[in-house]
Amino acid sequence: MAQQQQRDTLTQIVVFQLGHELYGAEIAVVREVGPLQRVTRVPRTPRYVEGVTNLRGRVIPVVDLRRRLGLEVSAPTKATRIAVAELEAGQVGMIVDSVQEVLRVPASAIEPPSPMMSKLDADYVQGIAKVDGRLIILLDLPRVLQREERKVV
Amino acid sequence: MGFDFDMTAEDIKVFLDEADEQLQVMEAGVLRLEKEGESPEHLQEIFRAAHTLKGSSATLGHRKMAEVTHAMENVLDKLRKGKLAVSTAVVDTLFACLDVLMSFKEEIATGEEGDVTTEGIISRLGAIDQAATGATAPVSAAAAQGGSPVAPGGMPPLSPAEEGHLRAGQGRGLTPVWLLAAVDKNASMPAVRTFQLLLAVGDAGEAVRSWPTLQEVEEDKLGEEIKALFLTGQRLDAVRTALAGVPEIQIIELTALASETGARPAPAAQAAAAVMAYQAPEVLTPAAAPAQEKSAAAVKGGKNARTVRVDVDVMDNLMSLVGELVIDRTRLLQVLTRLETEREGDDMAQVMSGALAHIGRMTSDLQDEIQRARMLPVDNLFRKFPRMVRDVAQKAVKEIEFVILGEETELDRSVIEEIGDPLMHLLRNSVDHGVEPAGDRLRAGKPAKGTVTLEAFHEENYIIISVRDDGRGMDPQRIRTSAVRKGLITEDAARRMPDHEVINLVWAPGFSTAEQVSDISGRGVGLDVVQKNIEKLNGSVEIRTEVGKGTEFRVKLPLTLAIIRSLQVQVLDTTYCMPLSSVVETDRIPVSAIQTVRQREVIVKRGEVIPILRLIEAFELERPEGYVEPDEYFVVIVSVMGKQIGIVVDTLIGEGDVVIKPLGTFIGDVPGISGATIMGDGDVAIILDISSLINTVKAELNRTGSELNSGRR
Repeated sequence: MAQQQQRDTLTQIVVFQLGHELYGAEIAVVREVGPLQRVTRVPRTPRYVEGVTNLRGRVIPVVDLRRRLGLEVSAPTKATRIAVAELEAGQVGMIVDSVQEVLRVPASAIEPPSPMMSKLDADYVQGIAKVDGRLIILLDLPRVLQREERKVV
Repeated sequence: MGFDFDMTAEDIKVFLDEADEQLQVMEAGVLRLEKEGESPEHLQEIFRAAHTLKGSSATLGHRKMAEVTHAMENVLDKLRKGKLAVSTAVVDTLFACLDVLMSFKEEIATGEEGDVTTEGIISRLGAIDQAATGATAPVSAAAAQGGSPVAPGGMPPLSPAEEGHLRAGQGRGLTPVWLLAAVDKNASMPAVRTFQLLLAVGDAGEAVRSWPTLQEVEEDKLGEEIKALFLTGQRLDAVRTALAGVPEIQIIELTALASETGARPAPAAQAAAAVMAYQAPEVLTPAAAPAQEKSAAAVKGGKNARTVRVDVDVMDNLMSLVGELVIDRTRLLQVLTRLETEREGDDMAQVMSGALAHIGRMTSDLQDEIQRARMLPVDNLFRKFPRMVRDVAQKAVKEIEFVILGEETELDRSVIEEIGDPLMHLLRNSVDHGVEPAGDRLRAGKPAKGTVTLEAFHEENYIIISVRDDGRGMDPQRIRTSAVRKGLITEDAARRMPDHEVINLVWAPGFSTAEQVSDISGRGVGLDVVQKNIEKLNGSVEIRTEVGKGTEFRVKLPLTLAIIRSLQVQVLDTTYCMPLSSVVETDRIPVSAIQTVRQREVIVKRGEVIPILRLIEAFELERPEGYVEPDEYFVVIVSVMGKQIGIVVDTLIGEGDVVIKPLGTFIGDVPGISGATIMGDGDVAIILDISSLINTVKAELNRTGSELNSGRR
C-alpha cells in the first residue's frame, strides 16, 4: 500500500553514514539530529543499547546503530551524531557516523529490497534508493529498533 | 448503544466532576446516617445532593439518572420530615441507589449505555415510600405505645390462616422475622438459589409465608426479590449468618418484627396491624455520642474554595519544565565559572552572576509552588473506603468500627492515585482475615465489634499510612506451617527462621493463610502484589503484629512520586542514586574487612553478618583498561523490610533530591534499576531498585542454603 502511494510522490529521506555506506530513513520517523553527548550505560541491557541520554530534560535510550546492524564498530569522531527516531515505544536515539543531508527521492528511484542482499537482514530494509549514482539503503526504523525478546540476565 | 447528548465534551466533563462530588456527599451522608442515626442535618445534605444531581442529569438528558434521583428525593423527603424512620433497609436501599447512579455516571463518561435499568431500584424505593404512607394509619396506635411507625417495605397482606400462625408463634415466644433478599443478577441458577434460601429459612425457623412460595419456585415463577415472613427462636445474627451462607444471594433486609427478648402476643383484634407497626429493633436511633471532630473536617472539605480544576498532565508538564529550567541554570553556572576565570573582573560576569542567583531562587520557589499545587489531602482517597469496609464487613458477617484519622494529611496527587488499590486490599485483608468473628472475639474477652483503623501522618520526609486492626494477629507458627506446605520454604529453614522474618513470608507470591478462600480477599491477588505496587511508588510496607492483639500494616511513602531524596554514589564512570529511605548507613572499609562465608562475601558490623554486593559484579560492568582495585571500599548498608545488605561502590558523591524519570518501554524493566534521573550537570544517573538488589542476594543465599541477616554465623 505504502509503495503505491509513493509511486508518483517524493519521499523525504534523512541520509546518514555508517562506515562507508549511506543509509536513509523517512524524515517522518527521524525527529531530529543532535551532537553526540554523554550517554550513561544502563546495566543488564543488550550490547547495542549504548545507554540513556538527556534530551532536553527527557531521558531517552540510545542505540549504537552500527552494532545493531552488525557492522564493524569504530570510535566516535567529531562528525558522530545522535539521530532521534520517534517510535511507538517513544523516542530512541541512534548513534550514526555522520548525517549527510535531507534528500527528496521520487518513489520511482526506490527499488524494493532484493533477495540477494545478504549483509543486512532484509527485514530491516525498506528499499534501496539510487540518487545521482549513489546507493542509499532505506531502513525500516520501527523494525530495526524493535526489541527482541529479552534474555533473562 | 451510544449516547448523543446535546452538550459539548467540556460540559459533560463538568457534569461528571459535579456528579462525582454529589455522589461522594451522598455516600458520606448515608454512611453517617447508618453510623450515627438520623439527623436532620445529614438528611438535608443527602437530599440537597440528590436534588442537584436530579437537576443536572435532567439538563444533560440522562433520563434514567433523573428518574432515580427523583425517586430518592421522595424517600429522602419523607425521612427528612420524619414520616419515615431510618432503618437498615432504608440505608441499604440508598446505597443501592448510589451504586446504580455510579453506573449511570459511568455510562455518561464512556458514552456507552450499560445494562443497568431503573426498574429494580425504583420499585425498592417505591416500596419504602409506600411503607411510609401505608403505615400511617395503624401508626397512631403504635405511636401511642411508643413504637416508631416502621413496617417492612413491600410486605403483601397475609391470609387469616397466616395471621393466625404468626400470632400462635409469637405466643410460643418465637420472633417474627421479615426477610427481603435478591438473587445476584448474573446468577446462573436463580431458581435453585431461591429454593436454597427458602430451605435455609425453613431450617432457621418456621416459615409463615414466602413470596414466591416453594411451589412457585418449582414452577419457575420468580420475581426480582424474595420475601419471607417467618418465626424463629434463634438470635437474629445467627439467622443472618445462616442465610448469608447461601451463595449468590443478597440479603437486603432482615428485620425482627418484635423485640427478641420480650415478644408478647398482640391483642387479637390488632394483630395484623401490630405486626406491621412493631418497631424493628434494628431501626437506627441517633447516637448519643456527640458528633466527632471528623465531621467538622468533612464539612470543611465540602466548602467551596476558590479553586480551578487543572488536568494532572498539565501539572506533570509544569513539573518537568521546571526540571529543565534547573538543568539549564546549572549549565549557565558552568559558563559563568569559565567567564569568571577567563575574564577576571569583567562586569558582564558580575551581572550574569546576579541574574543567575535570582533565577536560582525563582526556580526553586517555582518548584515548591508546583509541588504544593500537586498536593491533595488524603481525604480524597480515604472517603472511598468507609463504604467498601461496610460492604466487606457485611459480606463477612462481621461488625466493624472503621476509624479514619489524619485525613487532612496531604500527599502528592499521583501517589494518591496509585496507592488506592493497595490500601483497599490491606483494608479488605484486615476486615476479612484480621478481625475475628464476633464469637471468637467474645471468647477472647474482646468486644464483639472489631476496630479497623486507617491513619495517615507525616514522619520526616515521608507519609505513613497505617492500616491496623484489633484482630487475632499473625501467628508465626501458622505461617511457618503454611509456608512449608506451600513449598515456599523448607521445613528446616522454617524452623531456623526467627519469628520476625517468618511474618514477612506473607509477602511471598502465592501465600495466603486463610484456610477458606473467601470471595473478598482471596481473589488470587496476594499481598505480594500490594507490596510490589507500593515499591513502585518508592515506598515500603512493614508489618507489626502481636498474636491476639492485632496487626498493623505501615505503608511508608515519599511525599511525592516525582522527587526522591537520594544518596548519590559512583561506580566506574556512572553515577547511581539510592533512595535515602532504604539507606541505613555508609562506611569505609579496608579490603581486608571483607570475609567469605560459604562463597558469599560478607562484612561483620556490630556482631551482625551482612552480605555484600559489588555493583561492578552484579551489573557485570566492564572495568576500563588499567583499572586498579582500590585497597579501600565504600559500603552503603541498605535495608528493606528488615533485610540488610551492603552495596560496594567506588565513591560517595552526596545527598540530593532527584526527579525520577522512567527508562521507557524501549529499555523496559531492568532488574535492580527503577529509573533514571538528570543531574545538575545534565548527565543521566541511574536510580537503583534496592529491594530488587536485596532479593537477588537473597535468592543466591537460598541457593547456597544460608540465610540473610539472621545475626548468626
